[in-house]
Amino acid sequence: MRIAPPRRAAGLAAAIAALACLGPLAAPMNPLEQDLMRVMEPPGARHWLGTDHVGRDVLSRVLAGAPYSLGLALLSVGMSASTGTLLGLVAANSGAAGRAVVMRLADLVLAFPGLLLALLLSGLFGGGVLPMLAGLHLAMWPQYARMADATATSTLREGHVEAARLAGFPEWIILLRHVLPRVLRTLAPLAILGTGQAIMSIAALGFLGLGLRPPTPEWGAMISDLLPFLAEGVVQVAAPCAAIFATVLALSLAGRSLAGSSMPPRVR
Amino acid sequence: MLRALAHRLGQAVATAIALATLCFAAIHALPGNLALQVAAARFGDERVTQEAADRVRRQEGLDAPLALQYGRWMAGIARGELGRSLVSGRPVAEELAHHARFTIQLGAAGWLLSYVLALPLGLVAGFRPGGWLDRAAGGLAVALASLPSFLVGIGLVTVFALGLRILPPAGFRTGAHMVLPALTLALSLAAFSIPVVRDAVVEARAAFFLTYARMKGLGAAAAFLHHGARNAAIPVVTFAALQFTLVIDGFVVIETLFNYPGLGDLLVKSLVARDVPVIMGAGLLVGLAFALVNLAADLLCLWLDPRRRREAEP
Repeated sequence: MRIAPPRRAAGLAAAIAALACLGPLAAPMNPLEQDLMRVMEPPGARHWLGTDHVGRDVLSRVLAGAPYSLGLALLSVGMSASTGTLLGLVAANSGAAGRAVVMRLADLVLAFPGLLLALLLSGLFGGGVLPMLAGLHLAMWPQYARMADATATSTLREGHVEAARLAGFPEWIILLRHVLPRVLRTLAPLAILGTGQAIMSIAALGFLGLGLRPPTPEWGAMISDLLPFLAEGVVQVAAPCAAIFATVLALSLAGRSLAGSSMPPRVR
Repeated sequence: MLRALAHRLGQAVATAIALATLCFAAIHALPGNLALQVAAARFGDERVTQEAADRVRRQEGLDAPLALQYGRWMAGIARGELGRSLVSGRPVAEELAHHARFTIQLGAAGWLLSYVLALPLGLVAGFRPGGWLDRAAGGLAVALASLPSFLVGIGLVTVFALGLRILPPAGFRTGAHMVLPALTLALSLAAFSIPVVRDAVVEARAAFFLTYARMKGLGAAAAFLHHGARNAAIPVVTFAALQFTLVIDGFVVIETLFNYPGLGDLLVKSLVARDVPVIMGAGLLVGLAFALVNLAADLLCLWLDPRRRREAEP
């Protein structure tokens, strides 16, 4: 049975959100409880994925890390997409001057290569959840704003919008009923791919020690924590790696099938 | 040509101003006593005294009013003065030059290597769209694009340094130390360039003039070589230049992973130590390099594709 790409993507997004909420509940042990008598234990009946360098259960930590890695990624993309949609609609609806302001702001942000802005904000303001979210939000909104602006501008010129305008509907009804749904539909694949990117960015920041800090079981921070013990426990390092890879791969496949293309999008 | 130049130049200046303001704001919005932290970084945690902090405060001009400090800050940057590292006390420009050399080596090696991988793979994939090689290359690209670069690096270290023991896992003394970081960077970049090469080849091969070349009796390879390769090269070359900007993204994480002493490593270490002049300098250098590479890509694009030149002229 073939499932239509939008349904599949929605189902996947729901599954990932559910994993982010329920992961910690499914953890068999306390992800923060150390057991110094059982450090770097190989996988076994008691610890399915072994224990880390201070004897914490790796499986529990990976599950408990889901809200940090996945939840924060979903949150940051949601925030960026909302800001982008709002600013894009404003730009499309408010003459040349308004658009110029929004688009120049977007240009300014896009002049920073990829991760740099999030890296600088997180690093300069001392790491942790808030600077990281702010950095990701700041770095990601322009792509949504550009796309929303382009879609809204072309939709506003269409016949059915003109008809609605002539029928006397106020501008905000037109935006809400005719423009917003179209904008959201074009942004959906971008947001799904963006969630995967955000998971990778959060993991990279955690790995660099500039995002969430240990003992928070965030996947990137876990990896950098365990890396010195790679030779003793490949499984323990591979577990959070596999979690990142699996979620990002699922998201990018879903995003690509939703965008109707099997190839990665060209960069910018 | 001029418009592209003006656009990128404006972007570079805006980046510099934004970066300078951001760094300034960060210094003063941060919780804690900056002078005390600097003294701690410079003299070690145990030997920090109030006198040491006061001396740092006077030396670095941290006791002036905020507006004056901001003016001094911006004026200094406009003059190209980057100041001295708060931690090592060496001039920032010197530190940057020292580390930039390593990053340029790594970036160039990784970038070249990525095309050594992507060109043949993209070519064979593009020659039989839908064939098993095409699907394999596509799958590989999707998988690589879903892996953060440090995961690729960890995988390579596990196999080549810990498993086979043929390459060193980290450091920078010999050429062998470059192999794994460059390969990591190359694989992360190839994730995006394989599909670009493949699509360019497919597109060039679908052109009417290529069908005509086949009809007049040329073999598949000869027809593509003489009539398709140049057309296929346009998107690839453009993308290759654009992709140099992705190098900037990758090297920060990869250098940290491999303990490779480039700009990214410097940036992360100074972020951890809150060594603002160095952060600022490294950020500026990376931002300017980004603007320059983008400019080069714009110009290259105009030069390669006459159709766009006509569009760009008013």
